[in-house]
Amino acid sequence: MSFPQAGLVFAVLAPGAVFAVFALVWLLGWTPGERIVSRATGITFLACVADLAAILFKLGTTGADAVVVTFGNWFAVHEYRFPLVLMADRLSLPFLALTVVLSGLIGRFSATYLHRERGFFRFFLLLHLFAFGSLLAFAAGSFDLLAAGWELVGITSVLLIAFFQQRTAPVENGLRVFAVYRACDIGLLVAIFAMHDWAGTASFVSGVPALTAARSTTICLLLLLAAAGKAAQIPFSGWLPRAMEGPTPSSAIFYGAISIHAGAYLLLRAQPFLAHSRWAAAFVMATGVATAIHGTIVGRASADAKTSLAYASLTQVGVVFVEIGLGWKWIAVTHILGHATVRTLQFLRTPSMLHDYHRMHSAVGGELAQTGKHLEETFPEHVQWWLYRWALDRGHLDTILDRGVIHPLMQLSRMFAKLDGLGLHRGPEPIRPALPLRSPAGQESE
Amino acid sequence: MPALLFNEMFLRCIAIAVPWLAAAVLIADRRHARPIGFSAALVSVLVSALLVRAAPSGESLFQALMLLYSCLTLGTTLAIPKRDCNSPTIAGILFLLGATLLAYSTGNLLVFLLGWILSAIPFFIPGWFAAHTWRPRAALSLSMAALGLAIAVIAWQGGAIAIDGLKGRSPGGIPAFTLLVTAVVFRKGICPAHAWVADQAESGPVAPTALHLNGHFGALLVAKLIVPLFPGTAGHLFPVLSYLAIATALYVAIRALSENCPRRLLAFIALSQSASILAGLESRTAEGIAGALVHWFVVTVSTMGLMAILRLLEVRFGENLTASTHLGLGEHAPRMAVSFVVFGLALVGLPGTLSFCSQDLLIHGTLMSHPLTGLILPVATAMNAVSVYRLFTRLFLGKRRTGFTVMADALPRERWALAAGLLFVVLGGLFPNVIVAQRSAEADNVASFSLEGVP
Repeated sequence: MSFPQAGLVFAVLAPGAVFAVFALVWLLGWTPGERIVSRATGITFLACVADLAAILFKLGTTGADAVVVTFGNWFAVHEYRFPLVLMADRLSLPFLALTVVLSGLIGRFSATYLHRERGFFRFFLLLHLFAFGSLLAFAAGSFDLLAAGWELVGITSVLLIAFFQQRTAPVENGLRVFAVYRACDIGLLVAIFAMHDWAGTASFVSGVPALTAARSTTICLLLLLAAAGKAAQIPFSGWLPRAMEGPTPSSAIFYGAISIHAGAYLLLRAQPFLAHSRWAAAFVMATGVATAIHGTIVGRASADAKTSLAYASLTQVGVVFVEIGLGWKWIAVTHILGHATVRTLQFLRTPSMLHDYHRMHSAVGGELAQTGKHLEETFPEHVQWWLYRWALDRGHLDTILDRGVIHPLMQLSRMFAKLDGLGLHRGPEPIRPALPLRSPAGQESE
Repeated sequence: MPALLFNEMFLRCIAIAVPWLAAAVLIADRRHARPIGFSAALVSVLVSALLVRAAPSGESLFQALMLLYSCLTLGTTLAIPKRDCNSPTIAGILFLLGATLLAYSTGNLLVFLLGWILSAIPFFIPGWFAAHTWRPRAALSLSMAALGLAIAVIAWQGGAIAIDGLKGRSPGGIPAFTLLVTAVVFRKGICPAHAWVADQAESGPVAPTALHLNGHFGALLVAKLIVPLFPGTAGHLFPVLSYLAIATALYVAIRALSENCPRRLLAFIALSQSASILAGLESRTAEGIAGALVHWFVVTVSTMGLMAILRLLEVRFGENLTASTHLGLGEHAPRMAVSFVVFGLALVGLPGTLSFCSQDLLIHGTLMSHPLTGLILPVATAMNAVSVYRLFTRLFLGKRRTGFTVMADALPRERWALAAGLLFVVLGGLFPNVIVAQRSAEADNVASFSLEGVP
């Protein structure tokens, strides 16, 4: 194994190894202190940054296009193989670098921000798992392995939304996000199956396989479903404000930087398929345009800073989708890198937003100009009011999903419950010794 | 060779007889239920391990299942709460172990029927493992009757009762095949005979019920009898059972969405996931069959772990647990919470666990053989994932409750049992080829029979 190959393996596995060690010692009964956790995090991500910088340097000096590490098959049954291939090429390297740099920064920030917080250790544990999942997804050499990292990113995202587990709202919002993720991930799973079935492989190490336009369109639309779910594109945008219940550092790295752009990365990987399918490219662009408009309007009516920033992120990711649909791959990558960096900074500054605003206000002598008057100047007043009501309910997207999917499904479930109960005459309930589940007065859950 | 056969036969007898003997001892000695149960299960584990080692490559499926089931029983005797650890329960569990190993290990139809019946007997006796409702007894009775009739028809038409001698002959034709499928439907809890599983889980004792369901006798019947004996018939009619299994996976997954009784909810999730095993076995692709066999292992370990944790919570916090509100038990029992979420997500395909690989193979194989109906499996799995996560959040997250004076988190002996299960699903997920390669070789055997029936 050459130096760049070993470096790539190290960069991907290091956060996973730290997670495994921390989890193991916790299960054995010892919870590491804050200092140990934050130092281990700092050292890990510093090492990863140095490692990736060395790989970049090496690639630059040798002129190689990519570093590929093949471990063989993770498992195989006859012709069906799950290749375990890591790859750092021009597309994945910027994402890998972004992940380790921002994870390290978030780790440093959180060491202070979450100091003496009850879930300090849990946060860092999940941060390492998230970094591992992201790095695995970005360094994957096949869609199969990408899906594994993708799922890890999803589950850590959900667990961090429910970080403040004493309150009911974050927990319920985490469940909602989990449901959306799982529903949309079906698209990724079926797309991978379709690739195996039609092309015999889901690997993209030597380029994606050539398929007919119809098949490319099918795969792209399935991948778009997965990407739209992860990137909160229309019609799945409703989960994004719910995800703001998590701690600010996790909101910054998930919904300002890495997780929200994972969908765009998936589409960038599928760009050769998109190039063969005008319809799919048009769908991607339409999704992006609709989301960008939705995000900019709803963001203006958001009452809290984090939600407002989340919708601003959504708008930019919508624009990135349009760029991908148009085939402007490197513009999209540049856009993602710039947007992720700025948005992370903005998210991290939200707790001190008023302080920042006052400082800027004073710095310009109390003459801070207002921005964001474009819509007010463009639309007549009654349209503005209609848009305001529409924005307040966040485009009615949650209502539409509730009425169109969740309520019918729950009604069906209750109907099945009634069917199951037919002919069943339950006897008297057995007496069950029970400790009181209700806590003393005044401490009842919400 | 005779010496080897004698040894293998002798080992099988030991694996079955020791638990039964220990069960008999427990009737006389009521004081040492846990040590006696643990020791007997340990003997079965060791003997089953020897059997796995002695089996030729690609023919070790039933020996591996014996080892798995013995390990489950061993873990149960270790983790079962003190409140449940009495002489009748442990004796029943050991009786169940012996009967299940008998069914797994035999190559004789009558002995298989005996194992099938004996494993169900404790669930008919009030005060032992019987549920409060009639449906479990009815379903088990019907499955026993159907299997008994099927074996009678097979023996009459085929003129033999050794499975090896009947392979590929379709003895008894369509009537015998239909009776066998009926037995599978009732025993496995396939729609429309699915409701008894939740009834048994709700009102029966948790650990024996979980062991009973995880015997997977329905899937065993498919792998052991239906596919090898009826390759021609299976080729034409078997998809019907597959469609029923996929419909069950979806129906039960939807049903679980509105269920608030944790025991019933877990039973639905387990049933939905285990129904996909049948769909994989029927897929007639090496990937689907290998996925089904690996998934068999995953579902067994994960549901056993989930049921065990639920019972441990019940004995600590009361049996009126519900998924309709947030109980906030995670603060009291953090290690149980983590174990629950890992087992739960391992059941529904979390990367890094063995089920990620099994689901990958299973869905791939099923989609290959049934592109449209196969799409239902990932949908059902997604709904099961939501249900299991909902149960986790309702049980463990939410406002911390005060007023408990009990020791809440897992005791050391419980931790060992849970840790073993977690290690299996996680290490199996990190290094899946160790398990998948074995099951792949066995899948070839099963597939070789089922492919004969493909027109």
